[in-house]
Amino acid sequence: MSGERISTCSDAEVKGRFARLWSHMNGDERKDVVQKFAAVFSLMALIVVFSVTSDAFFSVGNAMTVSLQTTSIALLGIGVTVVILTGGIDLSVGSVLALSGTVAGLLVKDGWPIWAAMSMGVLTGMVCGCINGFVVTRLRLAPFIATLGMMLIARGLALQLTGAAPVSQLGEAFGVLGNGSLFRTLSVGANGLPKVIFPGIPYPVLIMIVMAIIVAFILRRLAIGRHIYAVGSNEQASRLAGVNVNSTKMFAYATSGFLAGICGIVLMSRLVTAQPNEGIMYELDAIAAAVIGGTSLMGGVGTISGTMIGAFVISILRNGLNMNGVSSFIQQIIIGCVIIGAVYIDHLRNRR
Amino acid sequence: MVAPAPIVEMKNIGKRFGGIHAVENVSVELRPGEVVGVLGHNGAGKSCLMKILSGAMSRTDGTIMVNGEEVALANPIEARHCGIETIYQSLALADHLDAPANLFLGRELKTRFGTLDDKRMEMEARQALRQLNPNFKNITDTVLNMSGGQRQVIAIARAIYFNARVVIMDEPTAALGPSETAMVAELIEKLREQGIGIFLISHDLNDVFDLCDRVMVMKNGQNVGTHAIDEVTKDDLLNLIILGKLPDNWSPRNLVAS
Ligand SMILES: Nc1ncnc2c1ncn2[C@@H]1O[C@H](COP(=O)(O)OP(=O)(O)OP(=O)(O)O)[C@@H](O)[C@H]1O
Ligand SMILES: [Mg+2]
Repeated sequence: MSGERISTCSDAEVKGRFARLWSHMNGDERKDVVQKFAAVFSLMALIVVFSVTSDAFFSVGNAMTVSLQTTSIALLGIGVTVVILTGGIDLSVGSVLALSGTVAGLLVKDGWPIWAAMSMGVLTGMVCGCINGFVVTRLRLAPFIATLGMMLIARGLALQLTGAAPVSQLGEAFGVLGNGSLFRTLSVGANGLPKVIFPGIPYPVLIMIVMAIIVAFILRRLAIGRHIYAVGSNEQASRLAGVNVNSTKMFAYATSGFLAGICGIVLMSRLVTAQPNEGIMYELDAIAAAVIGGTSLMGGVGTISGTMIGAFVISILRNGLNMNGVSSFIQQIIIGCVIIGAVYIDHLRNRR
Repeated sequence: MVAPAPIVEMKNIGKRFGGIHAVENVSVELRPGEVVGVLGHNGAGKSCLMKILSGAMSRTDGTIMVNGEEVALANPIEARHCGIETIYQSLALADHLDAPANLFLGRELKTRFGTLDDKRMEMEARQALRQLNPNFKNITDTVLNMSGGQRQVIAIARAIYFNARVVIMDEPTAALGPSETAMVAELIEKLREQGIGIFLISHDLNDVFDLCDRVMVMKNGQNVGTHAIDEVTKDDLLNLIILGKLPDNWSPRNLVAS
């Protein structure tokens, strides 16, 4: 399928290079490329459809909104992907982000410098991840149970610490991370008001991209990444081959907690308020993003690029349906169908 | 003929799970270039004994000497440092990784920046695999797509590449077809020629007679007899496996014949 799509490409140079690449690939790599193309293609299709059905959809402003919405799903999704690759699951990320954000907010209230408070927030997330890892590897509980427990504990802690009330008046500086952007260019218009020439790259989007690249690098190029796939493929074999299975899993849960922490401070910064109720059900979006992107819940299969595509699919779907005035109930139904459909197609492709 | 010094000596090995004795007071040794068959009923304790030697299971009693030195073998990494490699039928490989990644799993080659050196691993793996089986082509497929024989070649290549002195094979041919079984038998010969000692767990008495120099029979966790292969018949072995003893009037086959 992708072969035909490529041949419509006008640039002969690119075509030749691709053909050469293609011929060097083996079956699995080809399947992977086809899958990516299929995913990107459906993403494009969504964009086209929504651009036609809604005037406001295809605009710079809305692109900003969508990318910002994508950041939280993607940040959580990347972490959850790493855990799922080991054959586990992390249900706690939505709550952990709330705890991380509220810790940061409360510390700012306490007079801590912003950077220190935010670092503590991220650290809190990482500690939650490490506790998950500890319960899974040392207490030998099923990841589902371990992280379900953490989901309740972290949420309860966030509510308890704040008395269930949002922590506001954190100062403008607290909002920079979530609302600022890089290379934002303004010019003063004739009427004396500033005019936006280039909206810039929002910091949250930048953070998302950097994190995606770092984690993808770890997975592809470092031994720990190789071990993550190995443990998810066959834990017993990995252990017998001398892989330290426990520390590999520990790393995965800590990464997920760390990214949930990052997501927490970014989200609270965007609201300039620490919301203990933020992020409810986000873990499900994160898992859905991973799954739509081709991650197997059985472990051992999945990529960060896939999860990124999955995150975009979900947020574009949400945004586009909103723009078309589709009720949130119908949205849930549609997204539910998309998840089942995506996984079923993947299942068909892998069946032999 | 002076027998070479044993590479492995297991003495009075015991393993208890709560009340049950999976392995009880078993002693056995292995010399370079020797294939020792480990026989016995299902649940006799063969796998447990071999897991103890491969560092995958702790023992409750006994000592293990490798090259005359006592070793702890607390984990698979330590066993590998002693030159002990294990080849399992079903557990051996990570399905979603390719052949080079599996061959180097846990011992990845790295560039000077500390990143994975996939190019070199692929090159080395290709060489190691072709040496064992010239027809090995699709080495960068995930091993999920490979035949049982190919998977076995990867596991054996791993042992050779890392200079194993002792190879443990737990039912290496249990899920293979006839031609692949023949190939594994050939590989075992190659290992033996290189002076590697082999423990071979097998339920197939034909294989045992074809490949082994000595056999050890286990029953209820105990060693009920260690014999040179040419002094026993199939019936003798079946007696040992099922009843745990040789017939009352038994005498070595090779002596009877001569
Ligand atoms: N992890 C364990 N916990 C409890 N009991 C065990 C464990 N592993 C093995 N056993 C018991 O130890 C005994 C020996 O098992 P082992 O796997 O060594 O048998 P085996 O000789 O390899 O049999 P098979 O031919 O079926 O592979 C069995 O009774 C088994 O139930
Ligand atoms: Mg066994």
